[in-house]
Amino acid sequence: MRKILIILISLPIFIASSCDKDPEMEVVGDVEIIFRANYDGELFLTQKDYEYIPDMSIKFSTFDLYVSNISLLKEESSTDESELVEIDFVDLSFDINQQSRAEEGDTVFTKKVPAGSYKGFKIGFGVPADLNRTSPNDYGSGDVLATSSHYWAPLDSYIFSKIEGFVDKDNDGIYETSEGEGFTFHLGRDEVYTERIIFPSDPIVVEDGQKLEIYIDIDVKKLFNMPIDQFDTNDDNLLDIEVYDGAHGNQEEELIIAKQLMRNYSEATLLEQ
Amino acid sequence: MRRLYLFFFAFGLILSACGDDEGVTPDDDGMPGDLSDIPYDPVAYNLVVPEGYPQMEIPSDNPLTVDGVELGRHLFYDPILSADSTMSCASCHAPSGSFTDQLAVSVGIDGIAGRRSSMSLLNIGYVYEGLFWDGRSSTLEEQALLPVEDPIEMHNQWPNVVDKFKEHENYPTMFRKAFGIESRSEITKELAAKAIAQFERTLVSSGQSKYEQVRNVPGIFFTPEEQEGFELFIFEENEHPGCTHCHKTFNQMFTDHRFLNNGIEDLGGCDVEHLNNFPDIGLGEVTGNIFDYGKFRVPTLLNIAHTGPYMHDGRFETLEEVLDHYSSGGFCAPNLDPNIQPFPMSIEERDAIITFLHTLTDTVFMNNPAHQNPFE
Repeated sequence: MRKILIILISLPIFIASSCDKDPEMEVVGDVEIIFRANYDGELFLTQKDYEYIPDMSIKFSTFDLYVSNISLLKEESSTDESELVEIDFVDLSFDINQQSRAEEGDTVFTKKVPAGSYKGFKIGFGVPADLNRTSPNDYGSGDVLATSSHYWAPLDSYIFSKIEGFVDKDNDGIYETSEGEGFTFHLGRDEVYTERIIFPSDPIVVEDGQKLEIYIDIDVKKLFNMPIDQFDTNDDNLLDIEVYDGAHGNQEEELIIAKQLMRNYSEATLLEQ
Repeated sequence: MRRLYLFFFAFGLILSACGDDEGVTPDDDGMPGDLSDIPYDPVAYNLVVPEGYPQMEIPSDNPLTVDGVELGRHLFYDPILSADSTMSCASCHAPSGSFTDQLAVSVGIDGIAGRRSSMSLLNIGYVYEGLFWDGRSSTLEEQALLPVEDPIEMHNQWPNVVDKFKEHENYPTMFRKAFGIESRSEITKELAAKAIAQFERTLVSSGQSKYEQVRNVPGIFFTPEEQEGFELFIFEENEHPGCTHCHKTFNQMFTDHRFLNNGIEDLGGCDVEHLNNFPDIGLGEVTGNIFDYGKFRVPTLLNIAHTGPYMHDGRFETLEEVLDHYSSGGFCAPNLDPNIQPFPMSIEERDAIITFLHTLTDTVFMNNPAHQNPFE
């Protein structure tokens, strides 16, 4: 009698609960974002020689950047976004002994998002203004924003991207620091923050229970595109790096260069699924 | 037969009663070992950091306690850690030198010179990874274990040291108070390292250097020469690349904790194969990557006027030599930090930078009684 009573009471509850759940069960898939770098289509590696302009080679030692406000957009014009990440740090400074790692790229994160079809991919290059008002003191040691090497105390800003290396200005096959052949572009401050929305030809489809890999390929050479004549006296649409070999955000001329280089992230970036 | 059992039982009872009189239970070696009668009431250590400093991250498995820090201070200054009881941690990290030995390279108990200069321990608790010049230890607890068994440092073995702790008049009680152990047999090298790490985390700036007073106290200013030096140090003008690329003023730490090749070594050439010519490969020893050869930790500049000779091998006696090196642009190498670039610097400018560097001197820290040798 007792058993029958229990069954009679629990059965409707079970039916009711199973009826409630199905329509509201969230359907999600994983999205993984992987950043890779190339130099004019060739795998980007630090400590490797590339041609910057004819008769002048370039070699990199550091290439990194903050990415932020990454989200998937349902419609081209809509604000219906699925945020993937607020801020993260991408380090693509793999050297010539780390080729396989460079080919794999730097996986920034994997996140679950509602399954469905997305038309747009939004990405910010740098640290957005609200976060740029904070400082490494505000974060624990494991946080990407806790890194003091990417913070300018005098300018109250994070360094959004570092591009460092050497150019062989005299084309003698040697990168000589004593002859000032090093370059250091440290790009930061609110003014240089750049956002882009990419609309791939095929929609980004996140399927229920599946993992979607999105590759963001950055052509490092394109970061040096220079439409401003003052900084392109060779008229080759590239920054005259032998003259303008650094930007650190605290002088007007350098800030103009920094703005352009950060703006170049937009056209230097391709999305691949 | 039953009487015989009774006899042995009674004899045993008498023996144990004798032991009880002393209030402790013998350990295997026959020494009194039970420490449970000693009160264990850990009190959190109140770590005060100056204005503008971040809160230090303390490992959850080694919180700072008053007794833990005190034990650590004793162990730090106690030469029984070394094989011949002549050398303590403080032999290479003395407060008068901002916890360095002010030698080009440190010398161990056998009179053998090491290959590197002792690093200042000022604000060492803020280093969360990559300790030592080459970054081979991840935590202070790991780091503290190594010098004892290093054959050119203390040249000892931890079991010997732990035995000395167990037999010591005071240490068993201090370990009990610091960590709540029940018996001397529970004293381990790991607990000793934890205690030393606790003490080291208290080695924080006082906030009383001239530089910090100028920043934080209204009405205190740099002299004109200090101001000129500060501006040369911090800004990238007149082709000066800026010292703050690596010696970040943020957090008042004057380091960014990275590992770099700063171009001090003439490798005889600029190609990749020349990287093999580094006499000390630094970080490369840890990672095995040839492009890490010759990279060393960027040290803090706080108390820099008291921590010479300079560089990982103490090759520069004076700050003048250091600045001359940097203005030269250093020697080429594939992995040279590109921020090391030649820049013009007059004698007056060099003097001004050095005058500024002297404002980073924190004598209050060096003279802090809480940091001194408890045996004196």
